[in-house]
Amino acid sequence: MDFNVVFPALVAGRLVLALSPLPVDLKNDHLLSSPLTSYSRLQEGIYLFQHGTNPYSGGIFRHSPLLLSLFSTFLPLNPTTSPLLWTASDVVAAWSLVKIWRVRSGVSHNPRDGLIAALYLLNPYTLLPSLAWSTSSFENALHLLSLMFACRGQSSASLLTLAILVQLSLPSILLLIPLLLLIVSEPISRVAAPRTFIADTRKSLPLLAEFAVYSTCLTLSATLACGDWSWVEKTWGAALLLPDLTPNPGLWWYFFTEMFDHFRPFFLMVFSVHQLIYVIPICITFQHDILYACYLLLGVLALFKPYPTLSDPGLFLSMLSLFPETFAYLRHPMVTALLHLHAALLLPLFHHLWLIQGTGNANFFYASTLVFGMANGAALLDSMWAGLRIAIGELKEDFEVVQE
Amino acid sequence: MWWRPKFCLLLSLYLGPVLATELFEEGLNLRPLRDGKVAAHFSFTTLLKGATLRDPQSLASDDDSQHYTLFPLALGQILREYAVTELHLTLNAGSWDYNRWGYPDEPGVGTGAELWAWIGDGATISVDQRWQGLRNALAGLFCASLGSLDEQRTTSPVLTFTPEGNLPNWTASHQLRHATLPSEHVCTENLTPFLKLLPCKSLSGIASLLNPHRLFDADWHGLGVHVRYLQDEGVEVRLAFQAVLDPVRYSPARRRDWSLRSLFDRVISTACPVAHSSVIRVDLSLVNSYSITPTPTAVHDNHAVYPVVPIEQPLDIAMDWPAETTFQYPLVSASPLTPLSIQRTLKGWGQSDGQLSLVITNHLPVPLQTGYLETMPWLLQFYLHTLHAQIDGTTRDDLVKVITYAAPVPHAQPALLQAVLTLPPRSTLRLTMDVAKPFLRYTEHPPDAQRGWDLPPAVFVPFSLDSMGTDDVLRARPTRIYTPALLVDLATPDFSMPYNVIIMSCTLIALMFGSIFNLLTRKFAVVHVGDAPQ
Repeated sequence: MDFNVVFPALVAGRLVLALSPLPVDLKNDHLLSSPLTSYSRLQEGIYLFQHGTNPYSGGIFRHSPLLLSLFSTFLPLNPTTSPLLWTASDVVAAWSLVKIWRVRSGVSHNPRDGLIAALYLLNPYTLLPSLAWSTSSFENALHLLSLMFACRGQSSASLLTLAILVQLSLPSILLLIPLLLLIVSEPISRVAAPRTFIADTRKSLPLLAEFAVYSTCLTLSATLACGDWSWVEKTWGAALLLPDLTPNPGLWWYFFTEMFDHFRPFFLMVFSVHQLIYVIPICITFQHDILYACYLLLGVLALFKPYPTLSDPGLFLSMLSLFPETFAYLRHPMVTALLHLHAALLLPLFHHLWLIQGTGNANFFYASTLVFGMANGAALLDSMWAGLRIAIGELKEDFEVVQE
Repeated sequence: MWWRPKFCLLLSLYLGPVLATELFEEGLNLRPLRDGKVAAHFSFTTLLKGATLRDPQSLASDDDSQHYTLFPLALGQILREYAVTELHLTLNAGSWDYNRWGYPDEPGVGTGAELWAWIGDGATISVDQRWQGLRNALAGLFCASLGSLDEQRTTSPVLTFTPEGNLPNWTASHQLRHATLPSEHVCTENLTPFLKLLPCKSLSGIASLLNPHRLFDADWHGLGVHVRYLQDEGVEVRLAFQAVLDPVRYSPARRRDWSLRSLFDRVISTACPVAHSSVIRVDLSLVNSYSITPTPTAVHDNHAVYPVVPIEQPLDIAMDWPAETTFQYPLVSASPLTPLSIQRTLKGWGQSDGQLSLVITNHLPVPLQTGYLETMPWLLQFYLHTLHAQIDGTTRDDLVKVITYAAPVPHAQPALLQAVLTLPPRSTLRLTMDVAKPFLRYTEHPPDAQRGWDLPPAVFVPFSLDSMGTDDVLRARPTRIYTPALLVDLATPDFSMPYNVIIMSCTLIALMFGSIFNLLTRKFAVVHVGDAPQ
């Protein structure tokens, strides 16, 4: 089907959904928005800011000062503008995804364009948080924008987008190194033909400095916007110290609810540092196709982020559509799909049983987050296996691939 | 008794100079209520004449030695140790029904423990450190869990809790610290140390009526300690006990007749010799067609007055309604006794969010303004942007004016909301606000976690818009109105699970970590698996 027909139709469909009364029921759902991305908390922060109270003096508001100053000045946040804004953000994300695909496949028009846009815009994991007006939709759009700019070699735009993204969500700093490498290399699909990294890595050093400059400027302007440094502890600090134990589909909240007080700082450190371990090995292994490394790191983020929502795995799963060459080599696609289906049914059910119905307890929901963690991990492992296995190609009968 | 004049003479000779600077007065107010109950208010006031407060700046050096005759030494030491200017501690059980009982004699009737103090700044030890010391010392003195009134419950609501005495004019300013613990209950173990602070203990005088068996059986009861500084007089300590007793419940014939013996199971047989004045007053304004014995010494604007010094024979005041065979409860409470009626409820069914709802009715034919105070621990988090007011279904957000708001910090700091509400005459204002229920660490839950958490009462201070033509009550000093406490049901984790959760989460992470590094580090190889040789 023609992309020029499919894309507007998808956007119109999304807009109709966004204008429906669904968002009111969804906006406080723990699966769709975390304390760091909740719409109610964003509104509370804006209200406090406009009434002369520092919203970062309390523990409710944990959004970036950039969002605060944006929405409290020239972009009012109300039930009329919000559906448009969140739909626009998703449209930008889907459009970036299609652009990345076009750059990667090297053709300007491709029959898969419409499918890729649909896989983002109709993915329930990204659709529902967007309907709940969770700012994680903005984070997804920024992720894809910065990757898209990097693929097209627009280094400044890409680094600026990443700097804004890091202001909104600290764990996304994981993407910095692969993004720098992506800018200096090409996004062409080489996942089937491993080779050593060709481009000059020294070129990435000035880019790193550029990112530092952007980040410093944004940090300073955020500080200027809210008057003092209290926002650092409340926004970035939350991703490291986990002060709010509101349930989410991730692995952190119940672990630190049940953690012994004297071990809490140690495990907070372990959980935070643990995410950094994956960056270098994945970049080295997939040095021939850095976009694939970026994709895998988004999977790591979706699995190990302190305050994930459904849109983080949603982004990872939607990006899978960029790599059709690996589909044949996925290790256990059926198991992974069933795990995801299992988790997608259990999560809302057990959340409801525990907190609304009162007939289940916290372990029900915890168990379903473990299943969801398994599903995300399985998807990550599948993609990683496929990305490595594809280099060997088709095998004759009686032969099998093993690891030494 | 032949020895009494001599004893008193000896006592006055011995204590003469001291008695001149310390003045002890005791009183009992009894108020028969419209619903057959009797409100009793005991007050024991000791005035330390000409006393000066300890300047916080002198906290670094040693204090003067303290010698008191009537003033409670244990309390005096605490006050000087932490240089507290004004102190109010109340421990109450039950919720005061303003509609049927009117204003209480002591305004502090919030459920549970409430402690507030005005403390001078400027010392080397900070106000917060002294506040911590103060509440721990009082916890020890009164055997109450006041140590739990920590920074998670401490606020500074200066608009509602204004000083009742004077604040000395020191170089550094004074600061208010206020905290409530609604789950704290008052019991005999609090009354015993309370009685020890009285010069006559419970041996003689009005204090001899303080019989714990009857007081703690009352429908409502509470004790209070109030210390204030009066510029020209000195330091005043007022120990107060209030109770709402139900004679209908005690009476087999279901009559509302009462006497001191039927209410307290005691009579006053001796007067307290050191009391400067000792008076029992019976408020007769709410009842009629009664008879009261013995004949009061005087009747001052609807109050029958009985001085307790000197006593020739045991004093037992009794009141009965000869025309009544059984007491008929009033069907509907006639006109409410306070200008405002307030209902405060927590709505919603989930454990993740809800709605706080207030229904405030102004009974007066004139517009009223009222201060509205919430000192909410972080166990309930307000969404202030959803605060809306309604009258008869129409939104009237202009009637609510938020003065100060301090947002709560999880695990650290409570919320403080001070607002002014404008109430049109004879109208009902409905105030709603969305709230979020936080999730606690497993160590933060109390032993009986499923019971829920008691939340402190809201406090209203009505004051009239115009000084003309309003209730006399309002024209006097504004009085606080406490709402009943709330109970919030917070989600609980499984308390038996810490090891299991640590093990299972860590297993999942280790599984992913191991699998990923397995894939990333080991080389792929093609092997022949069929039966046929290669």
